[in-house]
Amino acid sequence: MGRIVAVGKESTLEVGQRVVVPFTIFCGQCFHCSEQRYSNCDNSCPVEDQEVAEKAFGHPMAGMFGYSHLTGGYAGGQAEYVRIPYSDVVPLVVPEDIPDDRLLFLSDILPTGWMAALNADIAPGDTIAVWGCGPVGLFTILSAFQQKAGRVIAIDGVKGRLAMAEQLGAEPVNYHETDILDALIQMTGGVGPDAVIDAVGKEAHGFSVDTIADRVKQTVGLGQDRAHALRQAIMACRKGGRVSVPGVYGGKADLFPLGAMMQKGLQLRTGQTHVRRFTGELLDLIERDVIDPSFLISHRLPLDEAATGYRNFRDHQDEWIKVVMHP
Amino acid sequence: MTLANWARYGLAATLATAAGGMLIYRRQPRINHDAAPARSARHRRRFGDYRVTGAAVTVRATPQQILACWRNNAALWPVLEFLPFPEGHQDDLLLPPSGLRDMASRPLLTRIVTEREDELVAWRSEGEGHADMHGRLRFRDNGDKGTAVEVIVAVRPHHFASAWKTEAMMAEALELGLLRDLRRMKMLIETGEIATARLRPDAV
Ligand SMILES: [Zn+2]
Repeated sequence: MGRIVAVGKESTLEVGQRVVVPFTIFCGQCFHCSEQRYSNCDNSCPVEDQEVAEKAFGHPMAGMFGYSHLTGGYAGGQAEYVRIPYSDVVPLVVPEDIPDDRLLFLSDILPTGWMAALNADIAPGDTIAVWGCGPVGLFTILSAFQQKAGRVIAIDGVKGRLAMAEQLGAEPVNYHETDILDALIQMTGGVGPDAVIDAVGKEAHGFSVDTIADRVKQTVGLGQDRAHALRQAIMACRKGGRVSVPGVYGGKADLFPLGAMMQKGLQLRTGQTHVRRFTGELLDLIERDVIDPSFLISHRLPLDEAATGYRNFRDHQDEWIKVVMHP
Repeated sequence: MTLANWARYGLAATLATAAGGMLIYRRQPRINHDAAPARSARHRRRFGDYRVTGAAVTVRATPQQILACWRNNAALWPVLEFLPFPEGHQDDLLLPPSGLRDMASRPLLTRIVTEREDELVAWRSEGEGHADMHGRLRFRDNGDKGTAVEVIVAVRPHHFASAWKTEAMMAEALELGLLRDLRRMKMLIETGEIATARLRPDAV
């Protein structure tokens, strides 16, 4: 987020305006944008970068800030200055009287958690299980309660993160100490969670047979994704339940419980976040003090120390939950 | 070698020959091109002496708006790789884009030969260029998604060894380039610009 310092000829923004910029870049005009599927935009990824994703996924992706050449090779937003394409539609102009800390996460992880909960199609009183209590997982838990979940069960292996999930009202389960499938069956009276959410993605940890097999394949270049959390989530989900996947995957995964998906009649929804579709609604919740996303911030650093921040985020997950950098 | 071993090797050789024969037999194109939609037939790339390639996109615009961009939008022409363009001329002559200029040592001029309103523009090469080329842009209503635009280009190289690197490379480059061309045209029509990740300090 930041302040507009210069505008292009056709921009509708004005110098001095305070904006939050979504990580998904979109044109606002194509068929997908017209249906608010902004992360599926046809036009925001430069043509010469579309072919890699097209080979890998069957179709090209939209442009994204700091997300490799699969998504157009746009530089990331952790910088002093950022060029915002399609500035008449992409950024969200925000009020002056709300502090940065409460608005910043509108750019990415708060809408991601919100969309993850929406994709779980929560009915009032439902029991939702969330794999991963990182920043996205925690916002998913917050969003699930906002969307009227009755219970949220939070699964992770890092105690500090599980404690934060508990503060949000979730029931923590530590996979180092618990057999997850057994625990979920017991906690739900033999039914299983109504919806399961994989907020882990392709870098699942653990010592299960499938994770070790994934790691070996990753090491020798035969596979990209370690999909343990997703496999477990599908096995745990109740019959006729929903599977929501905000976790990032980029390749192919085997040992995928396709039989469980089909035989239990599960529905699967996933995707990169259509950030701008949700920012209005979320800004309203922030303005009305219904939610305060700044609880997530554990550290603040100058931009110069970004490398330290990333290192600690990787090595000390217990305390380094979310780092905010100031230019 | 024992008799049993001879029999075993004989059997293995027979099976291998049969399997190989089956493979070769199955690889023969026995496909009725009319049975497959558009350019999706297998082994489709040759029709007589011609190499046929193409690409398609859907644009949220009418056929008239799309044609107007192709005919009159000067921002489009410099970025085209393989789609010939009229450059605002009224005499139906089309100019070769950058990819065709690089591939052929003499300019490959084409001229519009058929135009059906809202449906089709077709062109073919003229004069003694290095290749004989036919092409067309075809429009089809694609519901609320817009207008499907398909470009098909058929090329018969005259002296392909000298004019083109190889026919296969040419066909591949042509197909990719035509898709890029259509995508750039779509961007320009839908958003008024062609996406780039380059930083542009001069945009102020
Ligand atoms: Zn778009």
